[in-house]
Amino acid sequence: MPRKFHGLKKPKVRQDWSKETLYNLSRLVTPPASRKTFFQQKWLAKSMTRAYHNPYVREGQWTRMFDRRLPAVVSMNHQYLARHDGSEQASGRGSGVEESPMARFDGERGQENRIDKTPYMHMTYHPLERRLDTAIWRALFASSVKQARQLVVHGWVKVNGKKMIYPGYQLNPGDMFQVDPERVMYATGARKRKKTSPVSDQDLRAEREADEQGSRVAKSREEQELEEQSEVEDEESEAGAATLESDEELEVMGTKPEDEQDAKKAMKNLLARAKRILEDSKRKLSGKRLQELRAFTQSLRKTMSKHGSKTESSQADEGSIEDLEVALAEIMTKIPEDSASTEATSTQQAKASADAINKSANPQMQDPEKTDEYVARKDAELLHAALERARANPVDPTKPYATPWKPREFMSAFAFIPRYLEVNQNICSAVYLRHPVARPGLAEVPTPFHSETMALAFNWYLRRR
Amino acid sequence: MPPRISTSRLTQPQTCECFRSRSRKSPSTPAPSTRQFHATARHGTRLRRNMWEWFQGPGRVFREPLPGSTNYLSAYDKQGNLLRARRNQQEDPEDQDELDQDEDAIVQRELDQGLDDVERENRAIDRATKRSAREEIEERGGIPPERQGDMRPYPLNQSFKSQPVLSEDLREQLYVQVVHYRHDVSSVAATFGVDIRRVAAVVRLKTIEKQWEEEGKQLAKPYAKAVLNMLPTTPFKPETSKPITPHEPINDLPVHPRTRQQIFYPTSESRQFTREDAAKVFDSKLLPADQRIPLPMLVDLERWKLQGLGREERQKKQREMDDAARTAIETAARKKAAWEASALRTVPGRRWDFKFEDISAEKVGKDGRGRQAVGYRYGMPHEDRKRGMVKIPTSVE
Repeated sequence: MPRKFHGLKKPKVRQDWSKETLYNLSRLVTPPASRKTFFQQKWLAKSMTRAYHNPYVREGQWTRMFDRRLPAVVSMNHQYLARHDGSEQASGRGSGVEESPMARFDGERGQENRIDKTPYMHMTYHPLERRLDTAIWRALFASSVKQARQLVVHGWVKVNGKKMIYPGYQLNPGDMFQVDPERVMYATGARKRKKTSPVSDQDLRAEREADEQGSRVAKSREEQELEEQSEVEDEESEAGAATLESDEELEVMGTKPEDEQDAKKAMKNLLARAKRILEDSKRKLSGKRLQELRAFTQSLRKTMSKHGSKTESSQADEGSIEDLEVALAEIMTKIPEDSASTEATSTQQAKASADAINKSANPQMQDPEKTDEYVARKDAELLHAALERARANPVDPTKPYATPWKPREFMSAFAFIPRYLEVNQNICSAVYLRHPVARPGLAEVPTPFHSETMALAFNWYLRRR
Repeated sequence: MPPRISTSRLTQPQTCECFRSRSRKSPSTPAPSTRQFHATARHGTRLRRNMWEWFQGPGRVFREPLPGSTNYLSAYDKQGNLLRARRNQQEDPEDQDELDQDEDAIVQRELDQGLDDVERENRAIDRATKRSAREEIEERGGIPPERQGDMRPYPLNQSFKSQPVLSEDLREQLYVQVVHYRHDVSSVAATFGVDIRRVAAVVRLKTIEKQWEEEGKQLAKPYAKAVLNMLPTTPFKPETSKPITPHEPINDLPVHPRTRQQIFYPTSESRQFTREDAAKVFDSKLLPADQRIPLPMLVDLERWKLQGLGREERQKKQREMDDAARTAIETAARKKAAWEASALRTVPGRRWDFKFEDISAEKVGKDGRGRQAVGYRYGMPHEDRKRGMVKIPTSVE
């Protein structure tokens, strides 16, 4: 194991999601061959590729695993197979029938149809992809192969339901491996800054940057939002239709990933929505419901202030969110009743119209009474969904990772899952479907190097050098 | 005469003060921070500084994922600008207006215009498709969808790209098709354009997920959501004009090692030299491509269609073939059971059953070490119990 794992002087791309790897990847080049002997070229290619492809496997071990027969597939067209029996390839004199250039021309792409070459050389390291630790990393359950290896050694990984402690276990096609979800969240989530607080370095940096650069922008945006809100409130007295649109905007804002990660912002959204419900349904809801909604808003505000001070314990926080949930569920059950009863008094065909309200996506065409009820119910639903999200991803300082959970930085640049794995992220399990293969134009072993480099490395391991 | 050095090449301003008493700090550059190891502190080496510069500039975009899109290196230029964001197309404003309107109102208007049912249905599907497309774009925050070139996480490697994974909806649909509707795995695979093994794996994983949900076990929901947002996914849109997007090629033919050689095989010009004959030339036991693909059923179906058989006839034929396959499997199982009953003698023990079977001593071959023979390793010591020998299992049942 080299001492300078993430050095910048001799940049090596490693199997991890670190910033050094990303930087080295961005300036990775194929080494120029003009002034090197063939041996030197091969040596360099070998050392570059082995630094990426599991340097924890010793060189001797790897040379025994190396196989010069590289697997490939060709995808067949069943319609072609049904139409021809293969004799058409031999038809014509000599070497087959001449195809007209027009037949080979692909109109969609505007160029001649040519069959891609199969990139065999990129499959040089395919035996290493069978290893359990590599497969765990490829399934995005760990941030590096080293970490995946540690997960295995520490006993957090099961293969086909049995504990497997060997990172070098060669997966067989059809094997299912499971990693403990808590460990996965820890391995791939943002790191905590301190043991006692749920805040991560990433959050702090994001805040600082926002302060430095976008303070003016943020301010102006806030002002705009305030103005919009006031406008909406003015409009509400005239027609309730406009509120829905603004609510939908709010909803869109709420579903943005960065917002939903932030429990505080989610709470803010909740508060705004509760306010909306209150204002919209003032006319139609009964007094008791109104009181309940108001109480709910207050409790929400309390939790918000708690979040602001950041002094609460985890249990209190969880408890408060759960309380809110229960309260909202109660209100939810009562609101439809209310709206139904008011409808009954106001109009004769109560049930038919209720159905119509349920179905209609946009209440613009309907009279304002129905609109209000519709908005109230829809808001309650939105509120419920937002609370659900907050509950699924709570703030909890007892967890080993920063909460609410957030992927660690630079993960997205490395996030891909090769086709030989089928992953279910919810249960942090994956199935190793088959061995990786090359197909025309595509190699399934992910490797950052150019085919030239890979060919040189393949040649190195052919023994006759 | 001493060599003349221009003042600009000197790092220190020239003073007459002794270098011992002189302060080390030059007035132009501030003192380096004491905590150089910290991530936010100033960095000593030029290489580190360059790295941090890159992360302040072009590398900044990789810190956080792009909402609803992949975020790979090849999607950006050297300055860190998103390549596909340059061209932005505008949609037809009239269409937008129509999409915003209420569905009932549009239907009413179409009725007034006197369109027939088929036309209206087509239009409704068209609208649904457009709406879902617009929702997608809005989800991505107005960025156009990724192109093929944007899907390469490794800029140097032209032949690797990040391929889509199954979306949650599609997984659920596959599970429903197999478990609730009891459809055949291979026919589900053919319909949805998903590999057979993948369908089986999805069902297996989904079953565990449902079980966990029932047990009340904590699922990694936030993780799943974040990861699926970063990855390209194959969608399933049941309401639109094109509900199914084929996920992957389903009829992959493995390249057989025997077919890697080039063979010069002279044959008469008048001969109908088919795939089957070609396979025979490569290896006497090699089957032709139509039988080696995972779903040979599709080829048969297509062949019957070309022969001009009707739908009922085709279905009947397929049913017959399925029945034949099932009976073959059953017969084989029965045969095996009969053989076991006759040839194996089972002695139940306290923890294990002991099974006795007659063997042939001839299998060992000339050197006594035939691979299929009993006692294959006889006379060779097992080394796996030695100190330092790690015995990794080769398979887990």
